[in-house]
Amino acid sequence: MNEIGGAPLFFLEFGDIVIYFSPFTITLFLLALVFSVFVLVSRPERQIDIAFGADAFYAKVISLSELKFRRFMSIACGLACMGAMVTGDLFDFTLFVSLVGICNVGIVAAVKSRHVQNAAYQYGLVALAGTVPMFAAAAMVAATTGTLSMLELAEGTIQVPLAARALLVLGVMGEGMAPFYAAKAEMFRAPGAPYVIMCSLSSLLIFLRVAEVILVL
Amino acid sequence: MIIQKISRILSNFDNILPLFAAACAVMSIITLISLPLAYHEDQLYPKRIVPGSTLNPYDRGGPPFTQAEIHSQYPENSPTAGYVTAYLTPFSLFLSEYTSYMGTTIVAHPGGILDEILYNTRGLDTVVEPTILFIAFAIAAYIFRKGGDE
Amino acid sequence: MWNEYSFGLAIAFACALIGFAALTRERDDLHKLLLIDLVETASLAVIALIGTDLAEALILPGLVVGIAELLALSQIYLTKEGYQQNPVKGLNIEVMMRSPAPVILSTILVVYGIILSGFTGGGIAGLGVVFFLMSRSFTGDFHVLEIASGISWALWVAAFFVFMFLPGWWYFALLGAAIGILLKVITKMSLVGAMWGETE
Repeated sequence: MNEIGGAPLFFLEFGDIVIYFSPFTITLFLLALVFSVFVLVSRPERQIDIAFGADAFYAKVISLSELKFRRFMSIACGLACMGAMVTGDLFDFTLFVSLVGICNVGIVAAVKSRHVQNAAYQYGLVALAGTVPMFAAAAMVAATTGTLSMLELAEGTIQVPLAARALLVLGVMGEGMAPFYAAKAEMFRAPGAPYVIMCSLSSLLIFLRVAEVILVL
Repeated sequence: MIIQKISRILSNFDNILPLFAAACAVMSIITLISLPLAYHEDQLYPKRIVPGSTLNPYDRGGPPFTQAEIHSQYPENSPTAGYVTAYLTPFSLFLSEYTSYMGTTIVAHPGGILDEILYNTRGLDTVVEPTILFIAFAIAAYIFRKGGDE
Repeated sequence: MWNEYSFGLAIAFACALIGFAALTRERDDLHKLLLIDLVETASLAVIALIGTDLAEALILPGLVVGIAELLALSQIYLTKEGYQQNPVKGLNIEVMMRSPAPVILSTILVVYGIILSGFTGGGIAGLGVVFFLMSRSFTGDFHVLEIASGISWALWVAAFFVFMFLPGWWYFALLGAAIGILLKVITKMSLVGAMWGETE
């Protein structure tokens, strides 16, 4: 058996879907957990604009409903990340990654600015398009190997087609596209900084995990 | 210079979807080239169509409250797998005995192989799936209400 | 060796290729959404090509993910384009506002849906509720619906844990899941109906 992330320490069995904790997945899991807790306890950034030529400043106000909604989305995103880090089933992994993608859309789309919403819409389209190669990859793995369990696939008895692996990576890239938008100045200048960071963190985590999945297959 | 150019194209988010779609199109071509793929014959949950059964195309494999045999990934993790497959509600039992239309409505009734997979052996998938629906609905409802405030 | 599976894959990926090629050229935002919905069908076809009962159980989540994201994105699109100044105000047909026909039709649909139970039953019963709300331009608070939706979700997750940890009680888990999904689909659909027909 390929052990990219170290030997699995323990398993959590949910029927056909076996969750496994190896040193690699447990590290990513804890990272997602810690950041979810940070999001839960942190207060959003208050932006201050200095007025030129005068001794004054404007503070931007974030409505309570927006704060609550974005915090909820960030925590959901953290939970989805935690799931995606430890799941041992390929189709379940793709579902968790789709959940991360849609949570990222939610975090961004809550901002009340037309420009940001336009970006959120474009990102949502990419995330939706990303599900196509991802599901196709999972289905191709199931059809050509007869199993979806990563633990079985890691035995290496049957070769997973290269096209399926490439499709999986492409799909995850589509879902994790958010930082490309979040890196834009307009997006970061939108109030509510800690939540936008969750977008970047979740993308980083799912990229790391998909690397492991590809190597294990 | 090239990097500058690329980053300028990428920084306009109207270009990202066409770019991603182009990547998907190229990937589709690569997949088409890499065909034919061998189909693995030993599949999980194979489809059995019993000729003449009134339960076609979802034959459930047994009378209610007995354990049908299903080919799951880890049978030891779901000791009761097979009971849901065989279960028929009284109404669907009636339908299957007196008509041959049960197969067309079977997905609508609790029990059957699909419920076995969706609720029991691959239950976690089904928990994630309504969560996605719930999140999407929360986004839509929030944006809808917020639009009303303005 | 060109087996049936490879032929199917070739056709599905050819469809996906056409869809993606169109997406690279499309500039209109709404058309992009429609095209992606079209491409989504190709991925469902690839799942269906597995050809086992598992394929059918995988199509359901695949389909739901597509529909869910479509729902969220279309709402974002409406806000982005500023199309929500003129909400649709119910069906405004006088006969339907007064006569008892919508009540009777909705009741039949709901009762039939409850008999069917499960996913399809939820869809049919939800359709009945949507029809009723549309014809009566309902303005109540949707808090009850939201609570019912939450309860059904909890019921479902509880059923999942019963299946996993108390497998002997599979029968209760099955019925719990069936009732949960029935409630969930009804409430989701009626919320959609209520959003559509909301008045100022």
